[in-house]
Amino acid sequence: MRVVIIGASFAGVAAAFEVRHIHPDAEILLLEKQDTLGYIPSGLHLYWDKKISDLDEARFVTEGQLDKHGIVYHLNATVQKVNTTQKIITYDQHDLSDQLSYDKLIIAAGSRQLSEKITGSAQESVLKYKRYDEAQAALIKVEESEHITIIGGGQVGVEAADLLTTMEKQVTLVESMDYVLFKYLDEDMIKPIEKNMTEKGVDLRMRQTVSSVEMESDQKVTVCLGEGSVTSDAVIMGVNVRPHLPFLDETIKQHTDQTIAVDRYLRTSVEDVFAVGDCIQLSGPGEDRVYVPLINNAVRTGIVAAANLIEPSRTFKGSLRTIGTRVFGKYIASTGMTEAESLFTDRTVESHRQEVRLTSLADSDTVTLKYVYDAKTHELLGAQMISDANILEKINVLALAIQSKQTLEDLQQTDYFFNPAYSQMTATTNLIAWMDERADEDEN
Amino acid sequence: MKIEHFLEKNEVREITIFNQLVLNGGTLSYGKMLNHLGVSKASLENDLSSIAVRIEGFDQKVQLQYDGQTIGLSMSDDLSLQQIYRLYLDQSIKLQIITFLFKHQEFSITQLTQKLAISESSLFRKIKELNSHLKEFGIKIRNGQMQGEELQIRYFYFQFYCYIENKVTFLAEHPNDRLTQMIDAMEKFLNVTITPENRERLTIWLIISNARVSIIDKQAKRLRTQMKAYRKDPFFHKIQVFVLRYFSRYSIEVDEVESMIHFAFLLAFPVLTEPDFHEYRLLRDRHAPIASMDTLIAETIINHFKYRRLPYMLERDMSYHLTHIHTRLYFFQGDIEIYEYEGIIAKEKQIVGTNVVSFARTLLKTSTKTLADKTGENNSLLKMELLKYISLLVLITFKMASVIQVGIDLKMDGLYKETLGELLILKLKPIKGVRVEHYDPTKIYDLVLTNEEPKDQANYDDARIYILSEILSSFDMVNIQRIIQELNK
Ligand SMILES: Cc1cc2nc3c(=O)[nH]c(=O)nc-3n(C[C@H](O)[C@H](O)[C@H](O)COP(=O)(O)OP(=O)(O)OC[C@H]3O[C@@H](n4cnc5c(N)ncnc54)[C@H](O)[C@@H]3O)c2cc1C
Repeated sequence: MRVVIIGASFAGVAAAFEVRHIHPDAEILLLEKQDTLGYIPSGLHLYWDKKISDLDEARFVTEGQLDKHGIVYHLNATVQKVNTTQKIITYDQHDLSDQLSYDKLIIAAGSRQLSEKITGSAQESVLKYKRYDEAQAALIKVEESEHITIIGGGQVGVEAADLLTTMEKQVTLVESMDYVLFKYLDEDMIKPIEKNMTEKGVDLRMRQTVSSVEMESDQKVTVCLGEGSVTSDAVIMGVNVRPHLPFLDETIKQHTDQTIAVDRYLRTSVEDVFAVGDCIQLSGPGEDRVYVPLINNAVRTGIVAAANLIEPSRTFKGSLRTIGTRVFGKYIASTGMTEAESLFTDRTVESHRQEVRLTSLADSDTVTLKYVYDAKTHELLGAQMISDANILEKINVLALAIQSKQTLEDLQQTDYFFNPAYSQMTATTNLIAWMDERADEDEN
Repeated sequence: MKIEHFLEKNEVREITIFNQLVLNGGTLSYGKMLNHLGVSKASLENDLSSIAVRIEGFDQKVQLQYDGQTIGLSMSDDLSLQQIYRLYLDQSIKLQIITFLFKHQEFSITQLTQKLAISESSLFRKIKELNSHLKEFGIKIRNGQMQGEELQIRYFYFQFYCYIENKVTFLAEHPNDRLTQMIDAMEKFLNVTITPENRERLTIWLIISNARVSIIDKQAKRLRTQMKAYRKDPFFHKIQVFVLRYFSRYSIEVDEVESMIHFAFLLAFPVLTEPDFHEYRLLRDRHAPIASMDTLIAETIINHFKYRRLPYMLERDMSYHLTHIHTRLYFFQGDIEIYEYEGIIAKEKQIVGTNVVSFARTLLKTSTKTLADKTGENNSLLKMELLKYISLLVLITFKMASVIQVGIDLKMDGLYKETLGELLILKLKPIKGVRVEHYDPTKIYDLVLTNEEPKDQANYDDARIYILSEILSSFDMVNIQRIIQELNK
């Protein structure tokens, strides 16, 4: 059996390993457009954060690991056409066109950071850095720049804003929504971050949509907004990623948002063709299908698709859009449904916000937690956290609780250790009314 | 633009034949029909046999008899002229061109000629004809695409799917789950109630919008300029937040224009209920173009009728309708004339009088001068908005007309009293603004008609009294009319 995988990033590589694990005899072929392997998309952030000293260190997989598992990969190989009737793939490698037949095909071609609505955003001076070569270019450009405009206040944009202000750059951040990180946090949770952002000198432009980016004669770049404009030395694209799949044939059904339609087994509309990672929609926190481009989803879908190659055996459990990061001195994490997003569910949803101490010691840090739950059944649906201390791991506990459909009452009964130096009387992630530190007090 | 613009000349004639027959009680002589159509007898015969073939599909439910002398139409009770229109429209090539364009957003000439099984030259001719009517919408079919301002394109498709194409099929063809979810969410987020009728309208609009949301290089120069006055509008802001949040769930990029388009639509078409709209009215900027035009026109109407003021709810209702009219005039161009404009104007003139119609024209002149640079009687949008002004004026006059209560208190034998009373009621009823009934001592009347001098005036409270000289005489009738007129002032 020959399994061809288009795209050798998280989803593709995870699928390859899993196929190897299940089918020791299969011939596995990865086709990858880039000339290097396994670059981590936030590598540049790691570099700016001085967590690595060379971009090359930001790799999640090595060629040696693939070799060891007998996985064949072609770098610099761009798939041009998929013919699902004849099961043939046409690809370009080093300016030569080649063809390849497959028995099973996994499409893991991911996404790119590109805007089709912002005119001028495709030019090189508008920095994107999901790929290794882009990151290299961005690194140099940012070093030369003093004032940088970031388009988009999502995770990428806010992380970049934090790192760049630390590097003493002047930063303007443009966001069309009322507040940053709106996909993960509710407005009432975001205030401490926005406060720190302003204090650190970030020029926040909320409720502004970029319509175009224009090059000026003096190497400067102007970002045009609904009202007014910003001219700076460089522009970073922090907008949503989107799939780019010009090589598909018409038989593979796509949704209106260009993602490939798949069933719960990650099968596409065509037999023996699977799709994973950033090119599909997933069942999201509200259990309807949404687009959640995250590495953990890429990896998990890769594994599930591999398990279903011969026979549909494992369904994909969906995504809670769990994230965790540190920005502007705060650790933030989120999983599941936000209160704002509960608009899209039929359930009646309630929420509760509380501040709790992390240990039993006098100098304990606190964490502000927000729970979103079903008003009737008390089933936990979502959680958000923000703290000065590193509480990121705790979000995984809550993610697991949501996935296993625990109620608030169930959560109170979870069996956690007690050690006064590391915990307090009740576990942080229990919603117990009398543990409230009155989160409202420090609202201003 | 009119429905018949989607049909060929002979088809329009055939429809006219149906129309004439319905208007004339189902039968018409050849002579009269020929006169109306202005064609030769041979060509009428042609049309009739063509109709006969077309209606075969109705399986005897529609029958046409003609013998060279008279034409007769019979239809079963569950069929109406609407379905006959549908029959013609369903076969219209022009209609298929538009649907194809909507579905595929782009076409090549060969693709379309094959699909429609027509020649290239006749395809070009049809597109040219369509373009001449699309002109008033400010859009055109060119290079296999619909071109023009995005708002206008969606607005045209909206009118098209509401009034030209089969709405039911259109709705059935588009799976509803996501849209239902979207509308439910919208209802929650905007904190409004969307009634079933408005929901259908909104669904059609959203199907069209969502099909076009990903189109790159949308034109919106005009809309952006128009929206300058509404950047800070609270409702626009809410829509913006909603649009961003909704599409952030998919891999769909939206620009500002998307929210602007929805803003214009939601205010121009009845989607919000009056109470929900009222909440917005309290918050909106009174100096923005639409709001200030609402005020100006409302004042003009009140002054014109010399009302001191309108009852609170009527005033709100008026404002609600005026905003729809003015939002359309401000943002939109073109319309599809779903009603026979000339016919309605003529009828309205008969019923409500020339004054109302000409006053409505004055209102339209005032509002278009500021809100829209569209002129010319032939612009369907202006025609349709004129009809709306007229309807609004009629509504107000009806609601404001003080009804004069007339009581008939005849003093005579039971039987005569009953019959003559009934006859009097019958005679007085057609007079505008009166309610006539047999006198009921527990009620209050403006005028009491009796045939004897009342023994005790106080019996009738403050009512004016008229003593009939000769029941049912024209002399009395003239006097009664005069009194009613006096009371009406
Ligand atoms: C700056 C940035 C930082 C991010 N940080 C995080 C983070 O910290 N945590 C997180 O969870 N998510 C993060 N993400 C999101 C994350 O990058 C994606 O979810 C993840 O990369 C998806 O993996 P994937 O394998 O599905 O697709 P991709 O990583 O997009 O990989 C697809 C691969 O397919 C290849 N390809 C595409 N087309 C072809 C073709 N025609 N022929 C051959 N090969 C092709 C591409 O070159 C690419 O290597 C970040 C995104 C960005 C832009």
